[in-house]
Amino acid sequence: MSFLDVDNVSKHFGSLIAVDGVSMKVEKGECRAVIGPNGAGKTTFFNLITGMLPLTTGRVALDGQDLAGIDPSQRVKMGMARTFQITEIFPEMTVRENIRIPVEVQAGLHMSTRMPAHLRGPLNERVDQLIEEGGLTRIANRYAGELSHGDQRACEIMMALALNPRILLLDEPTAGMGDDETYAVARLIKRIHRESHMTIVLVEHDMRVVFNLADKITVLAEGRPLAEGTPAEITANEKVQSAYLGGEA
Amino acid sequence: MQAFVKQNALNIVIWALLLTMPFLMNAVGGYTQLGTQVVVLGLAAMALNFLLGHTGVLSFGHAAYFGLGAYGVGLTIRYFEQSTLLGLLAGVVLGAVAAAVIGPLIVRRRGVYFAMVTIAFGQVFYFIAVRWNKVTGGDDGLTNWARHDINLGFTKITLVNEPIHFYYFALFFFAVAVAIMAAILRSPFGRVLLAIRENERRTRFLGINVNFHIWASWLISCTFMALAGALFALQNNFVDPHSLYWTQSGIFVIMCVLGGMRSFWGPLVGAAIYVVLQDYLSSVVSDYWQFFVGLVFVAVVLFFPRGFMGALRRRTAE
Amino acid sequence: MTQLILFNVANGLIIGAFYALMAIGLSLIMSLSDVINFAHGGFLAVGAYLAFTLTPYVGFWGGLLLAPVLTAIIGLIVEKFLISRVYGRDPLYSLLLTFGLAFMFEDGTRWIWGAQSLPYEVPSWLMQPLSQQYFFLTGYRLFMIALVAIAVGGLFYVMSKTRLGLRIRAGTLDLETVSVLGVNVRVLRNLNFGIGIYLAGLAGVLAAGQLGLEPTIGASVIMPSFVAIIIGGLGSLTGTLLGGLLIGVASGLTGVFLPPASEAVIYVMMALVLLVRPQGLLGEEGRF
Repeated sequence: MSFLDVDNVSKHFGSLIAVDGVSMKVEKGECRAVIGPNGAGKTTFFNLITGMLPLTTGRVALDGQDLAGIDPSQRVKMGMARTFQITEIFPEMTVRENIRIPVEVQAGLHMSTRMPAHLRGPLNERVDQLIEEGGLTRIANRYAGELSHGDQRACEIMMALALNPRILLLDEPTAGMGDDETYAVARLIKRIHRESHMTIVLVEHDMRVVFNLADKITVLAEGRPLAEGTPAEITANEKVQSAYLGGEA
Repeated sequence: MQAFVKQNALNIVIWALLLTMPFLMNAVGGYTQLGTQVVVLGLAAMALNFLLGHTGVLSFGHAAYFGLGAYGVGLTIRYFEQSTLLGLLAGVVLGAVAAAVIGPLIVRRRGVYFAMVTIAFGQVFYFIAVRWNKVTGGDDGLTNWARHDINLGFTKITLVNEPIHFYYFALFFFAVAVAIMAAILRSPFGRVLLAIRENERRTRFLGINVNFHIWASWLISCTFMALAGALFALQNNFVDPHSLYWTQSGIFVIMCVLGGMRSFWGPLVGAAIYVVLQDYLSSVVSDYWQFFVGLVFVAVVLFFPRGFMGALRRRTAE
Repeated sequence: MTQLILFNVANGLIIGAFYALMAIGLSLIMSLSDVINFAHGGFLAVGAYLAFTLTPYVGFWGGLLLAPVLTAIIGLIVEKFLISRVYGRDPLYSLLLTFGLAFMFEDGTRWIWGAQSLPYEVPSWLMQPLSQQYFFLTGYRLFMIALVAIAVGGLFYVMSKTRLGLRIRAGTLDLETVSVLGVNVRVLRNLNFGIGIYLAGLAGVLAAGQLGLEPTIGASVIMPSFVAIIIGGLGSLTGTLLGGLLIGVASGLTGVFLPPASEAVIYVMMALVLLVRPQGLLGEEGRF
């Protein structure tokens, strides 16, 4: 059994079929990209995995456990952390506070009205470590709302990582960014993948990012699975080429 | 030492003012009761702001819990036990229990809808207070009871006819309540509340049960609200059913905004401004002072939305 | 006993019709502008007092026709110069603004027309009981019900058949798209506010004939109107109408059996609805 097992899922909005019978198996430690032309149902597919939308048919399982009926915040507790297409951070808090909150939540302190003395040191270290890994040290005390797009994204990714997830889901991590920022974010994701062998699923439209990061790629078109394979296989796939060319023409 | 003073300058100033308030009031020609009102209504506004400003939840029905605290203490002293402290406890428990029960019905709502549900719920208690004449005194309010001196065994605290003593009695509970709220806001739990204010969706996707946290914040807020209401009743030896009417809820909200919702002390400052302003208006335009209160609401919204502390902070930042 | 029950049900229906008129207007404004208009009761009072002032000059029918229109015009002005300035800001500010306006309206009417209650003359032939046995069934009461029915029917027609109504409904679902399609959202919200205030003014004139004129008539109906919205379901006009009538009748019936609880009962109903069907009787889940 695969680590993340998406089996034949569909989503209907009334008569509109947004996702139609898609399956995807992601192994532990794999970086999987989901791509497709506009309107391919990528975001809907992503929301079916995270539980933002209920399934019409099919089944999603994480590490052998069926996720049916489990709401998004419980899925997070089970180790499924995510970021959003439009960055979701705490704008009027500093970067350090942004990271500190998930670190404390991960330590099970979200209901504690006192910080246990023996945890103070270790948690501070953990916050510092995440700030450093995210390349945020120089801006740790600035308000997150004032940062550039790329830095906000890095902050959001480190917030997700602070939860010690078993799988990281990234929804268009470089959406709306210039080349430099795109490169920096892609490098950060790559490092996380390499160094901690994190299982990652990302929806992405920037092909350079996808081919640079992904071990395997799933291609969707009009809500249906079109192809799946390594970057090399996908590049060579004629159906994919025509779908993209057709989509752009 | 110097660094400590610098970091806590505001705290030091506020506490110095609060501790010397009765003397300051005499010096500027005010009276002690006005100072007590500032402290008690300031506690109410800070309690509301725990939910409104620090958790980001639009509650417009907090007068109900203020009023429940007031009736709790009044009814206890009148019918059960001639004890100021027991009455105070009863008032707080009454408010907290009501909030705990109503909480689950409303925490799924957000924004203006939450405001509407909270303010409507508050009316139940108003109508109980007004219609249950035999017990509550109905429209005329609950009279024929008064606070008592407190005998601690080794010493006696005289509160009857001693406005200055009562001021420090109220200030003691204010200090305890405010210290607890400040400690909570600095704790991991408090940071999660701030996180909900900042970005509810992100907080949910940190694995937090947001509705439960809002319920907890609501409960804390309403409990301290009831404490303030109980102190208010003890100060006046009287409970007015209008203290839980819906318009009173709006007045608590305007105190928060007037002082600055994002600042911890803001609501206290707002309450002080409001109390002085109301005292002044009701002496100048006695019959129509409410019209001018309304005008203050409009003016604050249009010209002063960040409140006193917000404006102060912006100026020092520049 | 039967007569007493019928009397209270009839009374409840009439009060419920007021609540419904108020609640529908509130709900329209809330859905499109995300504003709780706490001053709605104040507009009701303005409508009532304007009718009182106009009647000597234009007669009962002229007052009935003109007062709501004038009230609506005041509403359009208030929206344009005050309320529209806080759109897009934290909803807290719009609530405080209308809250302050509610205070000003109540004291303002007291200032202009005095605090004591004033008589409002309804044509005497309308006040005749229609039956000896059911003395409470006056022509005025039936007339009120008929007028409310016409107003609500007219509103439903506007909402479902006219371009303005369709735009308002589309705007409550997705304001951004409507604005991208070239609809002037400012004007739309202004007109929508005016429609809501027209209904409040109409309720005011009718209430003046039934309940008499007092500066507090507005403040006493606004909370039940909120309850009507919550019970009926925000966003559903039919639900809101139903909610208003329901709480009116429930309140009337409770008045027969346990008079002191006649006001509180509607809040108990609200609690039950929130417990069993949080979105309201005809509301859709997930919108609020």
